[in-house]
Amino acid sequence: MRFEKIVLKNYRQFRDVEITFDKKSSNDLHIFVGVMGTGKTNLLNAICWCLYGDEPYLSKDSQQLPRVNLKAVEDAKLGENIQVCVEVWIETEERNKYIYRRRENFRIYEENGKPAPHSQTESFEVEYIDEEGNMKIFGDVKEELQSYVERFLPKSIREFFFFDGERLDRYFKEATAENVRHAIFKISQLDILDRVSERIDKILSEIRREAGKINPRIEETREKLEQKENALKEIIRMIGECKEQIKRAKTKIEELREEIARLPDVDALEDERTRLKSKYKEKISFLNEKIKEKRSLLIDYSKTILLWPAIEKTLKIIEDKRKNKEIPPRINKDMLEEILKEQICVICGRPLDEESKHHVTELIKEVKITSETVQELYRMEEFFSQVKEQIKAFEDRIRKLTEEIRQYERDLEEINKKISEIDKELLGRDQQRTRELHEKLSYWEEIYETNEQRLGMLNSQAKNLEKELDELNKQLDKELKMENQAEKLKRQIDFCKEALQVLRKTKDSIMTQIREEIHRKTREIFFNLIWKKATFSDVIIQPDYSIALIHQMGYDCLGTISGGERETLTLAFTLALHEVSGFNCPIIVDRPLAMVSGPPRKNIVNIFSKVSNGKQIILFFTPDDYSHDISEILERTASNKFDLKMSKDERETSIEVK
Amino acid sequence: MMSKVPDRLYIDENDRKLYDEVIVEIFRGKIGDEEKRWERKDQFLLAMAIGFKNEVRRPLKKKEGFIRKEYLKPEDKALINAIAIYDTGSIEVLLDKQKVFSIAEEYAHAGIRILHGEIKSGEPGSYLKKLEKDLFEKYKGLKNRL
Repeated sequence: MRFEKIVLKNYRQFRDVEITFDKKSSNDLHIFVGVMGTGKTNLLNAICWCLYGDEPYLSKDSQQLPRVNLKAVEDAKLGENIQVCVEVWIETEERNKYIYRRRENFRIYEENGKPAPHSQTESFEVEYIDEEGNMKIFGDVKEELQSYVERFLPKSIREFFFFDGERLDRYFKEATAENVRHAIFKISQLDILDRVSERIDKILSEIRREAGKINPRIEETREKLEQKENALKEIIRMIGECKEQIKRAKTKIEELREEIARLPDVDALEDERTRLKSKYKEKISFLNEKIKEKRSLLIDYSKTILLWPAIEKTLKIIEDKRKNKEIPPRINKDMLEEILKEQICVICGRPLDEESKHHVTELIKEVKITSETVQELYRMEEFFSQVKEQIKAFEDRIRKLTEEIRQYERDLEEINKKISEIDKELLGRDQQRTRELHEKLSYWEEIYETNEQRLGMLNSQAKNLEKELDELNKQLDKELKMENQAEKLKRQIDFCKEALQVLRKTKDSIMTQIREEIHRKTREIFFNLIWKKATFSDVIIQPDYSIALIHQMGYDCLGTISGGERETLTLAFTLALHEVSGFNCPIIVDRPLAMVSGPPRKNIVNIFSKVSNGKQIILFFTPDDYSHDISEILERTASNKFDLKMSKDERETSIEVK
Repeated sequence: MMSKVPDRLYIDENDRKLYDEVIVEIFRGKIGDEEKRWERKDQFLLAMAIGFKNEVRRPLKKKEGFIRKEYLKPEDKALINAIAIYDTGSIEVLLDKQKVFSIAEEYAHAGIRILHGEIKSGEPGSYLKKLEKDLFEKYKGLKNRL
């Protein structure tokens, strides 16, 4: 089936709108584009209201407003009636049409000086037009009318054809085994078997009560049996509750852990920061040492290098003096001066005569250098030879130190960069939020553990009760056998028990069959749709209904796939459900790209485009989501593109077909 | 006869301020009194080397003691002597320590002014870079003669 038309009169933003889903090609794809608040989601609400009488997707703003269009209310006179009407036209595979029409009448009263609409009556009718144009209107019995909806779009499974982008993304993020089991149960419409089981259970209880009237022993056993059965039912209910709590706790724990994992690990960051700071200090002191060393070296070298001409000349003079045998001096000048001073020859002890004095004075003039000076020259020569060697090493030593300094500077820069990265992370942290998250995590972990323990206890209680019930059943059988009058009742009891067992087995068998079929179909559709075919090797729906997406390396990667891939898997699963259940209904998705970013956006819309060949797809976008690259893909295959425009007073939305 | 050996090296009294400013730029860091004296000696020898490099000697107007002789190592004395020998062209100058010291002081007097001027005209911290550059240039010129 497909939607053929939707007519909206005075429904919320829509004063008088008719949307026709003409199919212009083999693709049954229809696009709605409108900014927030223009009523995209309310189109989905309009369909739900018409078909089921509720509006499950109402935004908080819309919840505050009446269903009737505000402009219509403004234009109406006091006491006047306004009718809200939504019609949903569907066309079956056999070309028959069903028109679902829901109306609600409002009367305008005055409240606080303003017109106020008050709901008066609501009606629902179904119009049927066969292939030849014969028309029939149903509108009397509510249950009968609803059955015309249920046969095409059962209310209990509407969540599998009306989606929002967030749900598409979330579906396989949450407790998936429960979701999948629920979906398969719903889509298989096995609740009828549950209802039959409940009925047989009641009959069984009545027969046993009747049998109890025959013999007080039978009554006693029956009472015990019923008590135990009730106790078991209660335990099973508690097990269900427990599992539900475990499931919720597990989801919450995962969500919280994910959120905590995204927060910086403050302690580790603080430790790392302290370590880096001390490393920084250490490096700074090394750097300062090296700078000091280089400075000293430069100053040392500046003395010798800048004074090199003086050093070189001194060395040359010493060398020349040595060559000229002026050094070492042949005569000790100090000794001559001593002789002259004492007037006695220090060698022979003879007093100096005038001639000798003159001779010694002449000698002193001749001997210019004292031995002390010569010693000084020798020391200078030795030192300058060392200086020569030192100067030779100048380039290497300075370059080595420069490189060491540069390396320390690079190290410091690197450390500083790391420290500022940590500072940035620490600055962004919200200590209050972190504490809250940890508190919440502890709370849910406790709930999880308590319920796990409780579940174990309840399971063991249930096992014991089943055992006791088994024994009581055997005892009741025995007692019934002993009583001739109860023979007929015993047969009836046996029949009921057998019927219950058959029903249980049938339910299990159908569930297994459908699960296997959905498993097969999901895998087939997923690999047909997914763009990364080589990345994944299988999609498995296990006997316990848990779903696994197997990476080609062999591990389950469901938890780590991207939003786009998750949406594709949900879509594949949904399409498989549709196909296996036989409900070939349209799929409506509100903001399919809400949770997807980057290149997978194009892949997702390509998938919708592909799926629309054979299935009606209706997509709602905001202009931001409906970017140029997206419109290019969709408008190649779309039959219609509708633009939702809000009036200036924001009271009415009109729809333009592009 | 050898002249009397002076007991210290002198600077011009106006130069002390220049030395103090130079120390801030070049001889940074926490230093004790002992080290300070060595630093003073290094400042003096650097100023002397710069005066020598620039071939400028400047007589001191009013002397002020700067470094006591005992803080001078034989290597420092050798450098002071070498300048005097270079300047006079004779080793006999070594017999006149007054003159030797005086030549060194005059070069240092001129040198500290050049050094101070260069430091003040450049960016903070840039003098050592300039000195390094100058030394490399000088080194290139002399390394073949070593």
